[in-house]
Amino acid sequence: MIFIEGTYLDGKTSKRHPARLEVNTNHKISHIHLLESQQSLSFEQQHYVIESRLGNTPREISFDDNQLFTCENHDEIDRINTWHPDKQATNSSWLHNIEGNVKLICLSTITTALLLYGIIVYGIPSTAKLMAHHAPHFSSQQLVSSLDILDKTVFDPSELSPERQQEILALAAPYLAEHADIAPQLKFRSGMKANALALPSGIIVFTDDFVNLTQSNDELVAVLFHELGHLTHKHMTQRMIQDAMLTIFIIFITGDVETFDLVTGLPTLLLDLAYSREFEIEADSYAFSLLKKHSIPLTSFADAMTNLENYYRDDSEDNHSDSAVEVKSKSHKSLSDFFSTHPNTQERINRAKQLSEE
Amino acid sequence: MSDTPENTSAVESSINQVAPPKALGFEFRGNGTEYFKIWIVNVLLTIVTFGIYSAWATVRNNRYFYSNLYLDNDNFRYLAEPLTILKGRIIALVAFIAYYAASIFAPTIAMILMVVLIIAIPYLINQSVAFTNRMSSYKNIQFRFKGSYGQAFMVIYVWPILGMLTLGILYPLAILKANEYFVRNSSYGTSKFDFNATYKDYGMIFLVSLGIALAVGLPMALLTYLVPALAVVSPVVFGLVYFGLIVYVLVSFTNLFYASLSLVEHKFEATLTVTGQAKVILINLLLTLVTFGLYLPAAKVRMAKYICSCMTMHANGSLDNFSAAEKENISALGEEFGQVFDFA
Repeated sequence: MIFIEGTYLDGKTSKRHPARLEVNTNHKISHIHLLESQQSLSFEQQHYVIESRLGNTPREISFDDNQLFTCENHDEIDRINTWHPDKQATNSSWLHNIEGNVKLICLSTITTALLLYGIIVYGIPSTAKLMAHHAPHFSSQQLVSSLDILDKTVFDPSELSPERQQEILALAAPYLAEHADIAPQLKFRSGMKANALALPSGIIVFTDDFVNLTQSNDELVAVLFHELGHLTHKHMTQRMIQDAMLTIFIIFITGDVETFDLVTGLPTLLLDLAYSREFEIEADSYAFSLLKKHSIPLTSFADAMTNLENYYRDDSEDNHSDSAVEVKSKSHKSLSDFFSTHPNTQERINRAKQLSEE
Repeated sequence: MSDTPENTSAVESSINQVAPPKALGFEFRGNGTEYFKIWIVNVLLTIVTFGIYSAWATVRNNRYFYSNLYLDNDNFRYLAEPLTILKGRIIALVAFIAYYAASIFAPTIAMILMVVLIIAIPYLINQSVAFTNRMSSYKNIQFRFKGSYGQAFMVIYVWPILGMLTLGILYPLAILKANEYFVRNSSYGTSKFDFNATYKDYGMIFLVSLGIALAVGLPMALLTYLVPALAVVSPVVFGLVYFGLIVYVLVSFTNLFYASLSLVEHKFEATLTVTGQAKVILINLLLTLVTFGLYLPAAKVRMAKYICSCMTMHANGSLDNFSAAEKENISALGEEFGQVFDFA
């Protein structure tokens, strides 16, 4: 016979009874003796569940009708656990064994780190890519018209002369026709700084500032090719899928949403930036190959990039004379707008130059 | 932290009507290293089982935090079954993916789903709180929650919207109403919780933060305007003030919440401080970033230890006389929906 000292709670009131658990010679829990009232409760006919061991938390045995016996005597409880008639109940002790083994913990930590790295750096992007390319193609009407939303929020109508717009459209027409499968369209808007963007519906937007910044038609074409690269590779769809997957993944790993917001917000943001840099490099490569195909000098891409970089640099310097709040929002915006989502401009220029020399 | 002796004898409980309230400390007895081991095994098993283990991991995590939370030398318990959580999680995940796919490819369906979700949210939140309460027990007595759809709708939508329409003037009231709703419908066994705070209590917290923001923000903005060189420093100052204000609001809300909370004749008290809480947050953030997230479990333990060390229950008499409520069944769906859609 084994006796284990602990506490008994009857499941009806919050009163704690100092108690002694009795395990008979058949290795069965037979009685709980209440020490204060000198009562003995018989448990021979009852089902019981021994909660698995977890750190140094008290051990619990629950019986029918919410009755509970708790104690701190881990070794004795583990011993009773091995005699439990229902073998399934003893399974979770292996978890405690892993958790108590320093070597296995080190191994788990390294394995986890490698797996996380692999999943985040390779797994999620390639799955998203696969899904984006296999998603059925939807024409622009069926997709949410993101241009409508942008028109209402950021964009103003273009102030470029209709002649200049026609000129650029005519310049772009043959290249857009080459990409008929993704139904690209070129539009002009103002209201944003120098920028060119590709929307998932196939619309490419050049802002007025950007058009005015370029010094040759070749530069416009080079940037157009870059945006066509985004569209051909379905980068926007891929990014949406990736973000969703990453969110779900991190929620599953950390187990709750609060952690996600507080601590993992920053790494998630950094990952998103890293992913989008990949996209830029891919779009650049696409632009380079098209430029070569059409025998347009690759330096035109480098020129466009240099112009953009100078534009954003001057811009953030200019602002230093403004008031405090303005400086904060503007320099913050221009810097993050441009540099965060795009790879190092100098690198991109160098790549274009290198390729053109070959 | 509490060294309350366990001598709640018959003599003492018979004179508890006249005895002064007894201060019972909350205490978190977990340990960062111990929790790290549990956490890393959870993460690894979650990855290799493609997320299925996450339900078991959640239960083990929650059990660790509940079981190490002591009040008057008795610990809390977390009772949920992993399979219940898994079921809820699968349903919520399917719904999330369906919604996400719809928002990309069929916006009209996504809009309809959104409307359905908005209508369902008060119900789901009620379910979620009821599940969490029912799965929590102390001294083998479960907590309960019995809300109503109408009242939940009021505190989730109507009051916050009124708060916004009045440019924030009624916003403290919205927070007060929400706390009243969730606390007054909660019970420990058959004993109901009560919540007694005023609009003024919450309004003061907002006024003080607004005052601090203006007192620091305006002179700083003016100074930077006059001395442009300060533009380098001002974002740092603004950042610090912003962080300080967030901590101030967090700490004040927590302290006010527990000061206003009562359970029959028992009262509560929380004495978090801005410096104490800020220190914990900054140390946690720094160590978590430096260790690429490996410090996360220890950070959670540090936070739990700090908050518990600041909390007291002023018990008027014995805690032995609470009785259990009737048995009831609530699914984990509400809770999981809440987690996935981030509105709980």
